[in-house]
Amino acid sequence: MAVSHEPRIVGFLCNWCSYAGADLAGTSRITYPANIRIIRVPCSGRVDPLFVVKSFQLGADGVLIAGCHPGDCHYTEGNYHTRRRFALLRPFLDYLGIDQERFRLEWVSASEGKKFSEVVADFTETLKRIGPREI
Amino acid sequence: MIEEIRNKAKELLETKTVDCVIGYEPATDNLTSRPVFIYEPSQVNRLIFDETCVHNLSKYLINRRYKPTGIVAKPCDTRGINLLLNEKQLRRENLFIIGVVCSGIRKVRFNQIENSMPTKCQYCSQHTPVIYDFLVGEPVTEAPTHNYSDITEIENMSPAQRKAFWSEHFDRCIRCYGCRQVCAGCYCYECFGDELDPLWVGIRIAPGENWVWNTVRAFHLSARCIACGECEHICPVNIPLMLVNRKLEKDTLHLFDFEPGIDTEIVPPFATYKKEDKLGTGE
Ligand code: SF4
Ligand code: SF4
Ligand code: FES
Repeated sequence: MAVSHEPRIVGFLCNWCSYAGADLAGTSRITYPANIRIIRVPCSGRVDPLFVVKSFQLGADGVLIAGCHPGDCHYTEGNYHTRRRFALLRPFLDYLGIDQERFRLEWVSASEGKKFSEVVADFTETLKRIGPREI
Repeated sequence: MIEEIRNKAKELLETKTVDCVIGYEPATDNLTSRPVFIYEPSQVNRLIFDETCVHNLSKYLINRRYKPTGIVAKPCDTRGINLLLNEKQLRRENLFIIGVVCSGIRKVRFNQIENSMPTKCQYCSQHTPVIYDFLVGEPVTEAPTHNYSDITEIENMSPAQRKAFWSEHFDRCIRCYGCRQVCAGCYCYECFGDELDPLWVGIRIAPGENWVWNTVRAFHLSARCIACGECEHICPVNIPLMLVNRKLEKDTLHLFDFEPGIDTEIVPPFATYKKEDKLGTGE
């Protein structure tokens, strides 16, 4: 019996934009896959690479970091730092055996409930396509 | 070469320019060398310098940051000094650096000297110290080049091969944390590996926990690792840690055009940002 694979995504959403964006998706009754487990962080810059590594260690199939668009960070510059860190961490994890398609950075503003749902849907699709991650 | 080092050390101690010179002396096995702290001018004849001087002594400067100290340093070690100066861990005025021109040392493992060079020297082209007060040897004028063929080889493996390659290595890790202890860049008062609440790296020795340790240790040294190779040298289970570190070095160079430890003033890439960064992501 083939059991379809339901990927688990850990989503780190910044409080000021992306979390509000996800909230908007909810209040607007936009459906998105329940595969994402959301963790609210003050800013995308709060996401220590350690959190990402730890999520993968504990079995996440994918990790999403979402924050305010560049220029819109509540703390002015947090997401610029996130962008630099991500640019180095993603190929590094890929090098150590975690497919880079499993790790995403997206900018989602508080008014982009629709975009949030699309990001989650698309990410879930991708993860289903590449299949479960062997730990 | 050795005479020059000894004379300089003697002069520094006699004039009280420094109160200690950190260098190398022969180890008790009469084969390898070990670090030595010289406080008396009469003791300078213990100092040596040869192909067995593997250690990066810059780590010892951290505990002597407020005391005038002399140090014998190879080019890679001088990059360590630069890193610590850049990160405001040392005071330049308290340092006297005896830089030694180096064309590579020998691989030393468990009191055996092998006839080959360690990885760090195979890929190193920085033969002149990057910072020094007194130079021993003829400076090399050729500009350093970069060779990352070892890294590209792994990058070109299939994802499955790569995964297998790393688990074979990381699974052996006994988490002695030796790689951290020798590292000049690892001077945190509390390492994430020692934190108990939250327990980032579990106490059990298991592949997953090893993976967290090896990944995050290396990433904490991204854009900071000065390629002295001490972690790989110390690792009791022969994990090729330089292959991990050098991947980050390669990408840092490519993305941010930055090399750690070359300059004391330049702001490292993770301490700054550019609004117009084009890193192939999140523009
Ligand atoms: S030195 Fe080697 S065995 Fe020890 S913690 Fe580091 S990688 Fe693991
Ligand atoms: S591994 Fe990271 S936390 Fe631990 S000492 Fe090194 S830099 Fe600090
Ligand atoms: S507050 Fe949203 S990214 Fe900084």
